[in-house]
Amino acid sequence: MNEILRIENLSYVYGKGTPFEKVALDNVSVSFEKGKITGLIGHTGSGKSTLVNLLNGLNKPTSGKVYLEGKDIWENPKEISKIRFRVGLVMQYPEYQLFDETVRADIGFGPRNLGLSDEEIEERVLEAARFAGVSDELLEKSPFELSGGQKRRVAIAGIIAMRPDVLVLDEPAAGLDPRGRREILGSLRDYADRMNASVILVSHSMEDMAHYCDNVVVMNSAKLYRTGTVKEIFSEADALISVGLDVPMISRVAQELKKRGINLSGELYTVEGVKDAILEYLKEGKR
Amino acid sequence: MISDITLGQFFPGKSAIHRLDPRTKIILATLFIVAVFVASNPVSFLLLFVSTVILIAVSKISFKVILKSIKPIVFIIVFTAILNIFMTKGEGEPLLSFWILNIYTEGIARAVMMALRVLILIVGTSILLTYTTSPISLTDGLESLLSPLKAINLPVHTFAMMMSIALRFIPTLVEETEKIMNAQKSRGADFTSGSLAQRAKALIPLLVPLFVSSFKRAEELATAMECRCYRGDKNRTKLVKLEYKGLDFAFMLIFVILLVALICLITIPYNYQSFGIIYDVLFFRV
Repeated sequence: MNEILRIENLSYVYGKGTPFEKVALDNVSVSFEKGKITGLIGHTGSGKSTLVNLLNGLNKPTSGKVYLEGKDIWENPKEISKIRFRVGLVMQYPEYQLFDETVRADIGFGPRNLGLSDEEIEERVLEAARFAGVSDELLEKSPFELSGGQKRRVAIAGIIAMRPDVLVLDEPAAGLDPRGRREILGSLRDYADRMNASVILVSHSMEDMAHYCDNVVVMNSAKLYRTGTVKEIFSEADALISVGLDVPMISRVAQELKKRGINLSGELYTVEGVKDAILEYLKEGKR
Repeated sequence: MISDITLGQFFPGKSAIHRLDPRTKIILATLFIVAVFVASNPVSFLLLFVSTVILIAVSKISFKVILKSIKPIVFIIVFTAILNIFMTKGEGEPLLSFWILNIYTEGIARAVMMALRVLILIVGTSILLTYTTSPISLTDGLESLLSPLKAINLPVHTFAMMMSIALRFIPTLVEETEKIMNAQKSRGADFTSGSLAQRAKALIPLLVPLFVSSFKRAEELATAMECRCYRGDKNRTKLVKLEYKGLDFAFMLIFVILLVALICLITIPYNYQSFGIIYDVLFFRV
């Protein structure tokens, strides 16, 4: 199997031993594969962000293990910062982390911390900028002059510049216009393919999940609820709806058709897929 | 973790002390501080100690919480106590002596009293102010108490507003700091190791975004306030009008009596040597 990151029986409790104790993650096991994009969904407070902060060792799990290529990341706690170079985490609203004088220097912050040579840093900055869609003329500007969407891209490039084997993004498209959204999410596939990296995408949008992901992990009240391919997950619409989530709009159309006696089959979670299924259905009807 | 820092934590409640007017509490706290520094002999400290215990009981703040508030100052208390024990020269024979260090009864008495003084000071003022008064009503009270200063054109309201905004945004800022720290750690920033200069330099990626967002937030807040027609205290009415009630006068009376009693007590001359007997017994030097 092509797995790179695996978590086993992971639990996290906030404020352990105080009256404010809260279980944020409860015995979750799941694995992530190379070259695949995995979507992580769940409604607010379901433990997504907690899980994400455990993946690169920002927090230490209360119990359970995180394995990166078979090695426990907390085996040597002093080396935990090295894990963060390999599991890149783009936090929510990452544009707030920009600080350097130029975009170039800001993207280069990660590689500089890696202790690379100047040429290597420059190469990585350019590569990351290309991946994230930061154009060359922006590189000399101050990150504070940029627009919101540009800042977001620079912040993502700052993580990509470390060439992580696992790229985790917490709602990377929140608050962006549809075009910015498409561009950023579209570049993820590019990264996963070319670097053979595992990409983990946290999102609220079922359309994004259906469109950009291969696998989906569904969280519900601190627990793992479902895991499977996009097709498997979205074919169980009722299960998703029962935990306060939704299916893509187009899957609902397919569902309504089914209620009216039109049974479609195929990838019923993208507009393309449903279109093909309807055409197929019509063709069969003629026969 | 950073979020564990508590600054003047308020514990909502309905005790007599919670119900006092914030102005009363500020006045009482001032009286209390004066009382703590007036006290100078064992009897007066005993009185103060007893009144603090009564204060804790009346406020219904759990003992655990109070112990927790003392924790950060334990070091200072112990340190001053040790210094006092060894540095105080007394009359008469030293109680214990080894090498160049002499311990006198006066030293021990002094150390105990100094420790008590700091302890009572912190616990008493926290009970009166921070634990039982919400930051908002505290600034309200302060504004009202300082309002006579408006006569000499001091912007009292503005100060009070600035204070309540500052208090309001402490938790927000703490949360934000943690978030940015995590973001930079994710890019391999190291805040905890290296030389002092390296660590100071490592703070730049934290401080720059923090300042940027603080300025932005201040501007947004100002705009939001203006949108709601905020013009300082001009024609501004209050939702909660401050009013002294019977309870307030009762507490003030009690505190004044306490202070007067203390002043009477410290005029009693006190002979520390009489304490020496206790130590003689303790150290089997009879």
